[in-house]
Amino acid sequence: MQTKILLDEEEIPRRWYNVLADLPSPMDPPLHPQTQKPVGPGDLSALFPMELIRQEMSPDRFIDIPAEVRDVLTLWRPSPLYRAKRLEQFLKTPAKIYYKWEGVSPAGSHKTNTSVPQAYYNMKAGIERIATETGAGQWGSALAFATMLYDLQCTIYMVRSSYTQKPYRKSMMHVWGAECIPSPSTKTKSGQAMLAKDPDTPGSLGGAISEAVEDAATHSNTNYSLGSVLNHVCLHQTVIGLECREQLQKVDDYPDVVIGCVGGGSNFAGISFPFAGDKMTGKHKEIDIIGVEPASCPSLTKGMYAYDFGDVAGLTPLLKMFTLGHDFIPPSIHAGGLRYHGDSPIVSRLVHDGVMRAVAYHQSEVFDAALTFARTEGIIVAPETSHAVKAAIDQALECRKTGEAKTILFNCSGHGNFDMSAYDAFHAKQLVDYEYPDELIKQSLARLPKIS
Amino acid sequence: MPLIGFLINPVAGLGGTVGLKGSDGVAEKALMLGAVPRSGERALLMLNQVRRKDILFFTCAGPMGEEILKKAGTSLINIIHHPAPDTTAADTREACRRFLSENVDLIVFCGGDGTARDVFDVTGSQIPVLGLPAGVKMYSGVFALDPSAAASVLDNLESTGRRDAEILDIDEEAYRSGTLATRLYGIARVPVLGEKIQPAKNIFEEQDEERAKDEIARFITRVMLPDTYYIIGAGSTTERIATHLGVKKTILGVDVLMNGRMVAEDADEKTLLSFLDEKTPARIIISPIGSQGFIFGRGTQQISAEVIRRVGLDNIIVVATPAKCRATPSLHVDTGDPSLDSAFPESLQVISGYSIARRKNVGR
Ligand SMILES: Cc1ncc(COP(=O)(O)O)c(C=O)c1O
Repeated sequence: MQTKILLDEEEIPRRWYNVLADLPSPMDPPLHPQTQKPVGPGDLSALFPMELIRQEMSPDRFIDIPAEVRDVLTLWRPSPLYRAKRLEQFLKTPAKIYYKWEGVSPAGSHKTNTSVPQAYYNMKAGIERIATETGAGQWGSALAFATMLYDLQCTIYMVRSSYTQKPYRKSMMHVWGAECIPSPSTKTKSGQAMLAKDPDTPGSLGGAISEAVEDAATHSNTNYSLGSVLNHVCLHQTVIGLECREQLQKVDDYPDVVIGCVGGGSNFAGISFPFAGDKMTGKHKEIDIIGVEPASCPSLTKGMYAYDFGDVAGLTPLLKMFTLGHDFIPPSIHAGGLRYHGDSPIVSRLVHDGVMRAVAYHQSEVFDAALTFARTEGIIVAPETSHAVKAAIDQALECRKTGEAKTILFNCSGHGNFDMSAYDAFHAKQLVDYEYPDELIKQSLARLPKIS
Repeated sequence: MPLIGFLINPVAGLGGTVGLKGSDGVAEKALMLGAVPRSGERALLMLNQVRRKDILFFTCAGPMGEEILKKAGTSLINIIHHPAPDTTAADTREACRRFLSENVDLIVFCGGDGTARDVFDVTGSQIPVLGLPAGVKMYSGVFALDPSAAASVLDNLESTGRRDAEILDIDEEAYRSGTLATRLYGIARVPVLGEKIQPAKNIFEEQDEERAKDEIARFITRVMLPDTYYIIGAGSTTERIATHLGVKKTILGVDVLMNGRMVAEDADEKTLLSFLDEKTPARIIISPIGSQGFIFGRGTQQISAEVIRRVGLDNIIVVATPAKCRATPSLHVDTGDPSLDSAFPESLQVISGYSIARRKNVGR
């Protein structure tokens, strides 16, 4: 039995897969924040290069990956697919567990799969600087790496609490030449407004997005870049699932269950969209696709499927998605990358339609699972990733009960080398199992006037 | 140089060692039964663990402080009160009055709930207090976990925060006959050690008590339903909810609100039941009281078992600040009605911020 299933560099996908082509009906369009009319390409051109706008709205099933981008991807792609033999033995499960290891990229997670093409298209469009936000620092470091490759300047608004508490991610951004600013900052109007309201605010991802969007919209040489949620980001991540399908084919297997953790939804989209396509086109109708989120920020399991802003200030288009409300500031869990009020509109739609489903876990149980994983497979995963690990273990344990030998595939989205303090907190029993008071909120929402 | 008011209730805990459940008014009997005072030992345990040498202690002569401080090798002592040999609650109060006029930074007392009440009678919430548990009953929220926790508060006094802590009034007579009847007596301030600063991804649990109360109040007022009775329990967190509605709440009592207006102030059980006769929906908003995390103790006489039954267990909203949550490992119910107690779920959701909750187990 093979432990690592590897592909040649030649086998890196040449095209991204666009799941929109296989949806039974079109998506609800993004709406302009003021007019509430569907946005057109022109509305987005202040923020994104035209090629990314085209990808965001494209109906094409496949989109070519530029040769220059594939060339950079060879630095860490194809990423290995592992058979988790030791974990299976430890769990005494008849299930087969595979995991796709995205922690091999320079920044340590799947995020570089999209930061590189995004920086590339911006460079091609003659843009000089990119502004973005980062919560825990994973996305900021991935974009810092990518902008460096193409000689672009990079300004990163980092959620203030992480800025002070996660110094090494900031150091990585500096190594790759990016500027990193704690958010809220005084550099933008929206940052000033947030500070005026609460000078001691720890900041939030939604707030940092407002700052980065405003920065890009008010500087003509500057574009904005988002590390998750949007269609083109999910598109770029499909290299993960496309490779997985090839790798599994080499060992003559196909997943019964596909799992990923969900913040904005991009790594989950990446591993699952090719399989969701197989499901929707009838090739594999039975496949179970599971997104995993924190119980403290449960947008897919407890949120509303409605139009909402992507940021605090209401500068972004209104997106139809599962949301906890754009003013929701999730509690301080260690999986900082999962603390987002909304979700990818495509993932939301597929969950809404029942093509995928979602589960939520508390943070102490996911760290417990991450420890099991570290002690069997060796890899110390990011706190975000540990959510996927937990769901995979639960599925495997379920198989032990039923005796089914399912094939379980999960996305191991990143390493936790800069998150050791979170593991320390777990060991010191300092983790609080936060949850979202959805009953109280639902009761009161039922009587709120409908927005738009 | 920190100024600490230090006092020991030499007879605290006496009753317990001879099975008397409390010492109020029975010290003599306890001593006759062979009880050995142990509050001094507890205080010594703490003093021996204090590392800093720059504290100026104000204290009472003899067994109410001086002796133990000297035993611990402390030299910076200022005697402010000379009690008679049989010390009483009046000595505790007198010492506290002196502490106040000396402008001490903190009062550390060694005793039980009774001592806590005596201290509170004088100090209120003017200066922070810290109890070193040595009594029989320690249901009030002012007590340090153990002597070493108290010592590290002293060592790190300058970097401590403050939080509210309830002082409970416990019916001694009833307690000795096996019934725990607690009542909120007042709200004191205690020092809290800052959480160990961890360079983690995103720690921003609200550390500031006042901001935390505002966050909770902002959330609760947002999810309050129209035409619904809200029975609001005692305490400073629930009081903040009323404040956000522009209503003045009785901090030690139970009030009833509807549509943001006060409909019954300091209501007793009968008044509460009279509202619950109608077909109008009702909710209870309550905060755990004291160190044992009581949400419904028998002492919450107004919110009786019958009131809880009529409102329904699904309609109870528990609120507590993060600091309170940390100091309260689990919740506790003792309504006096065992079948109702056992009908409570294993765990309840506690609202601890804006849209943020956590789970706490319910003991009974
Ligand atoms: C390692 C890792 N996994 C997952 C996520 C969640 O993001 P997404 O849902 O876009 O994959 C993040 C975000 O920071 C991350 O760093």
